[in-house]
Amino acid sequence: MTSQPRGESPGRVAWRAFRRNGPAVVGLTVVLGFFLIALAGIALTKGARPVLDPREVRLPDRLQGPFARPNKESVPAASWPRLGVYLFGTDELGRDVFARMLEGAFVSLSVGFVAVGLAVAIGIVAGGLAGYYGPVRLRVGPLRLLTVDTIITGLIDVMLSFPAFFLILTVVAILKPSIWNIMIVIGLTSWEGPARFVRAEILSLREQEFIQAARAGGARGWRVIARHLIPNALAAVLVSATLGVAAAILTESSLSFLGFGVPPPDATWGNILADGKRYIFDAPWLTLIPGTAILVVVLAFNLFGEGLREAFNPRLRER
Amino acid sequence: MLPFLARACWRKLWTLFLISIVSFLVIHLAPGAPSQIDPMNPRFTKEQLTRYRAAFDLDKPLYVQYGLFYQRLFTGQLRSFKDNQPVLPKIAQRARNSFPLFVVGTVLVWCFAFPLGIATAIRRDSWFDRAMTVLVFALISVPGFYLSYLAIIFVVETFQVDVIGIQTFGRDPTGSWTQVMDRTWHLVLPSLLGATAGIAVLSRYVRSQMLEVLSSDYVRTARAKGLPEDDVLYRHALRNGLLPFVTMLGLLIPGVIGGSVIFETIFAWPGIGRLSYEAILARDYPVVIALNFVAALLTVVGTLLSDVLYMLVDPRIRL
Amino acid sequence: MRLTKMLLLAAPTLVSLVLLQSYFWVPTFENQARGDPGRLTRFISSSIGDAVYLNPTISADSASSEIDLLVFDGLIDRDLDLSFRGRLAESWQIFEEAYLFADPALRLPDGTPAAPEALLARLRASQAAGAPALQAVEAMTVLPAETSTVQIAPPAPARRPGAAAPPAPPPISVGVRRPPRLKFTLRAVDQDFFVNLDRLLGGYVEKLDRLRYVTAPDVATARAAAETHVHPTEENPVIVFRLRRGVRFHDGRELTAKDVRVTYETIMEPRSLSPRVPDFEPIKTVETPDPYTVRVTYKELFQPGFESWSMGILPAHLVSREALAAEARAAGKDPATFSVRDSGFNRRPIGSGPFRFAAWESDVSIRLVRNEDYWKGPANFREYFMRILPDVLTSEVAFYAGTADGYGAQAHQVARLQNDPRFHVNSILGLGYTYIGYNLRRPLLQDVRVRTALGMAIDVDEIIRYVLYRQGQRTTGPYPQQTAYYDPDVTPLPHDPAGAERLLNEAGWRKNAQGILEKDGKPLAFTLITNSGNEERQAIMVIAQNAWRRLGVKVEVLSLEWAVFIRERVNKLDFDAVVLGWAMGLDADIFQIFHSSQTGPQQLNFVGYANPRADELMVRIRREYDDARQTAMARELHRLIARDQPYTFLYVRQALSLLDGKIVRMVRRPDGTPEYLPFEPNRLGRINFHFDQWLKTPRPVLPPFRPELTAG
Repeated sequence: MTSQPRGESPGRVAWRAFRRNGPAVVGLTVVLGFFLIALAGIALTKGARPVLDPREVRLPDRLQGPFARPNKESVPAASWPRLGVYLFGTDELGRDVFARMLEGAFVSLSVGFVAVGLAVAIGIVAGGLAGYYGPVRLRVGPLRLLTVDTIITGLIDVMLSFPAFFLILTVVAILKPSIWNIMIVIGLTSWEGPARFVRAEILSLREQEFIQAARAGGARGWRVIARHLIPNALAAVLVSATLGVAAAILTESSLSFLGFGVPPPDATWGNILADGKRYIFDAPWLTLIPGTAILVVVLAFNLFGEGLREAFNPRLRER
Repeated sequence: MLPFLARACWRKLWTLFLISIVSFLVIHLAPGAPSQIDPMNPRFTKEQLTRYRAAFDLDKPLYVQYGLFYQRLFTGQLRSFKDNQPVLPKIAQRARNSFPLFVVGTVLVWCFAFPLGIATAIRRDSWFDRAMTVLVFALISVPGFYLSYLAIIFVVETFQVDVIGIQTFGRDPTGSWTQVMDRTWHLVLPSLLGATAGIAVLSRYVRSQMLEVLSSDYVRTARAKGLPEDDVLYRHALRNGLLPFVTMLGLLIPGVIGGSVIFETIFAWPGIGRLSYEAILARDYPVVIALNFVAALLTVVGTLLSDVLYMLVDPRIRL
Repeated sequence: MRLTKMLLLAAPTLVSLVLLQSYFWVPTFENQARGDPGRLTRFISSSIGDAVYLNPTISADSASSEIDLLVFDGLIDRDLDLSFRGRLAESWQIFEEAYLFADPALRLPDGTPAAPEALLARLRASQAAGAPALQAVEAMTVLPAETSTVQIAPPAPARRPGAAAPPAPPPISVGVRRPPRLKFTLRAVDQDFFVNLDRLLGGYVEKLDRLRYVTAPDVATARAAAETHVHPTEENPVIVFRLRRGVRFHDGRELTAKDVRVTYETIMEPRSLSPRVPDFEPIKTVETPDPYTVRVTYKELFQPGFESWSMGILPAHLVSREALAAEARAAGKDPATFSVRDSGFNRRPIGSGPFRFAAWESDVSIRLVRNEDYWKGPANFREYFMRILPDVLTSEVAFYAGTADGYGAQAHQVARLQNDPRFHVNSILGLGYTYIGYNLRRPLLQDVRVRTALGMAIDVDEIIRYVLYRQGQRTTGPYPQQTAYYDPDVTPLPHDPAGAERLLNEAGWRKNAQGILEKDGKPLAFTLITNSGNEERQAIMVIAQNAWRRLGVKVEVLSLEWAVFIRERVNKLDFDAVVLGWAMGLDADIFQIFHSSQTGPQQLNFVGYANPRADELMVRIRREYDDARQTAMARELHRLIARDQPYTFLYVRQALSLLDGKIVRMVRRPDGTPEYLPFEPNRLGRINFHFDQWLKTPRPVLPPFRPELTAG
């Protein structure tokens, strides 16, 4: 931060660096495209009479391959797919996989975002407390034993010590899988990253001149953190949040594979993929389509996140 | 040095105490019954259900359960709910099965990640670097079970050989060497698939570490002095760039009892991951808690070791 | 420096080469059978889950039962045609012992006191005169009067919510005075014995009032004591098993009657927590008059109890109370709390079955080797493995790779695999049926015409065709079609929407302006629920909803998570209609599912079916030991239930299995040459009924076995 050229904000510098990184730009494009698809997904598949109905069961048309046309003799006309063909084929109940993927896009996206949102929120609060109030000792009875920093870093250590996926699996299995439980559990088990970034950033910043000045000027506590410190730590948090969304989508699909994922009727890409495995030899598209879709979207988030990391890191950016 | 060590040990003990509480509490988030109670079984009466519950000791107060649990764990008296076998020997036996996967997986990770990371760092921003970046992230982004399925089906359909389990099942032990090779073959797919994420992540670390070193002053000085490029890279840069990875040896420790739930389930590998999954399915509390606890314990030991190694490698930390 | 560079390249290359060359040591699908003669003597089955306890008295999962069946032998089992045949028991005999109070204080209709001798003389005379009620009686004797004191626990005081349980009040002593009794020995069990005897004695039996024989401080206690300790009439069916001589356990000890008794005691021991208690609870005593005779006396008539003797027999010298106490002491544990569940026996069982236990590697496999001393002669396969493959796809792949000989195929795969010459596909009618159950407490659904119409609206054949891939059969009632209890003359409801509409009109339902059926201003509307996670039931739910909507019935559908579905809805009787399935046993006893006494919350007759004639039949069926009479009653019950339509009976699924085509059934002719026979499943659908004759050959020797696949 000390070496920024005059006249240009750090954000703009980073953006210029980011734009030069081809894969990252592609990643960003795909991520934006995914947002649009997810939004289109709600518009097209929700409501009483959706344009594309992901729940319409047509048994005579079960396990049809991509681009198959509906069997017009045994399927009532009202049930024909709106596009005239099953773009991505049908599943074991004759439901339109294209419609299900559209519906699942939003659910998968929200699993990622809610989980990461929660993780980042906890992380910022915990990291902020540890960084700013770190040395403050808490009064426990007559003793002043523990500092805020000890407690929070202790908690971070504890969370880091558990095998993350097994812990998530344990909790989800006990609490019964539901979409909210899964989001919350993933969120509660992945806040250590953001917390550590925020803490480290604040520790390095708090001794710098402008913060000292702000404190001398009478601003106190949270207002100082909020106004000056958090924006500076945000770059690191943004990077870890982007990578976090990718990880959350993957975690959800792994949970689905083990039978602890988001339960029906909510379709996620993870559970479409996990359900498809029974039919892999007879209907490979039920596996290939959601699998590839997850790969592409998670890859895009990862490339975008990595691009951000490089762009924000002056040492990697130089040359 | 000694005070540093003492402080680190004290902190780890404190972490361990928290871990013992957390891993115990996690289990008691919700009530569960042993998996074999099926309320719809016409021959299974209510009285028996009650008897099952009483036998499993779930009705005592929580703190008593906590005390009893760790007392039994440390005295080796803890037994699985599911089959009445002692828990620690069970874990030890499964850890032995996971061990070959861990060793081959680690060898693969280290053998591939370092060359890859170094090569991409040297050829920074070339097409090779970009392509490898995308490939590496694709490996991180693909759902593990999806990739496994594709790999298994490909190998079995193409080569008509077995890939599931520890060795070709039901084969005559024709000779020890054949058997060793047969087992080796069965290690290839699961360890490779398990290592993909590791290779990807580690190679990125190596790459950014190398990039930092390559832009450091002494490398520039060495170049300026006109040393041959190979000399600069492989003698000066590499040594300094890779020294921090020595500390990762400590972090290998938890891997010794960690097996992947996903890969071990797919490949029917009787290791720790399978044990965890089966225990969760059966609500086998003693095994689940013990596994969480032991894994966390080893992680703590591992980080302690890694801290010590770091201190030995990097003298600056000896404050 | 050069070295470093080289190392960076050489290490990954070398590691890859070492790993990949191992491929050349691994046999292919074909070579496993051809290049390896040992492989032909091993049978490998696969299971999704691992076994838990290898002990038939406490195991409750299918993986454990698969092994139990091979390691242990029962006294009896089911033959090809489902009749019982002897295994450890060479033969058996079922008869009845009955007891009747002879109370001189009461008088017979002609005024004589019912003293034992008088009663006996009168009955002897009647028997000599050929009274039909006494036809089956072989012997009559007099037993003397007895008095005793029993302890009765008073009713527990009401417990206030939240308060600790109050201490249990002390038990009350109650005097019981039993008059002399007549003991009858009957050749065959006759559930109407006392009914007929009562008629013969002019109502004497009816007059015996239990309360007269107890002296207690208050009426409630007296009633409780009389209920449990005074039985003016008693009917005890007795089964006498004659054991096969010379059968040995795998450790060489001979199997005798004591082992049978100890097996029974193990189940009934409360600390064993055996899931089989309900099957053995009705037993009064198990006696062993000599080492080859077991005499089982039941407390009451309970015909389904007979089948439970097909359970494997444990060796007494390893699981008896004394043996367990010794094991506990050796392991340094408290013998008072040590139960058979803690015993090492469950990890290395010893039985007397065709295969002996060899090894168990948790979550990998269980290995059995054949019992060379088996009383029926050794099996063809030398070894039996049960592999544990937790993933559906993995177990399929292992089957294709030749490292599992059997695989439980799914319906949608049959079309693809049926014509593959490498495999045998077996499709045999299963034992469970799927149905739509109606809550008969709901006024809307009380009319049988409404339920019948709802059933007629559903095209079951379409469900079988599209949901089950034709792997199912229609069913019309509560019994498995393989048994004689199923009445084949009951015709399934026709798929006839027009007829359904007529029936509803007849019942007073008319379509309103919106096309919804209405009666007295009320629409025909209800909710159909099922559990989530079962695709088949989801599909049926949707199909039923569509079919009924066309009929003018307004149906909401809802799928609920299993625990919620059962606990909150089914157990609390809070539903209109459900899609569910039952797994059936082979006995004729369906008391728990359809008797009107079983309609409370948590009970299995949750639809609330109540029909006095059906109730009577269900009680009589339980108590009937004669096959023909039991079958006739069961068929009547089937017809009755089919007429009342408390359920819309949908279908029974086919059980599918896939075998490596190299598996054959081979017997040796007297001259020693092999003869290959087709597979012959028993009527239960067990393809491995003749498992002892199975063998693997290097290449298929028979055209693949193709049972007729039933078209939907």
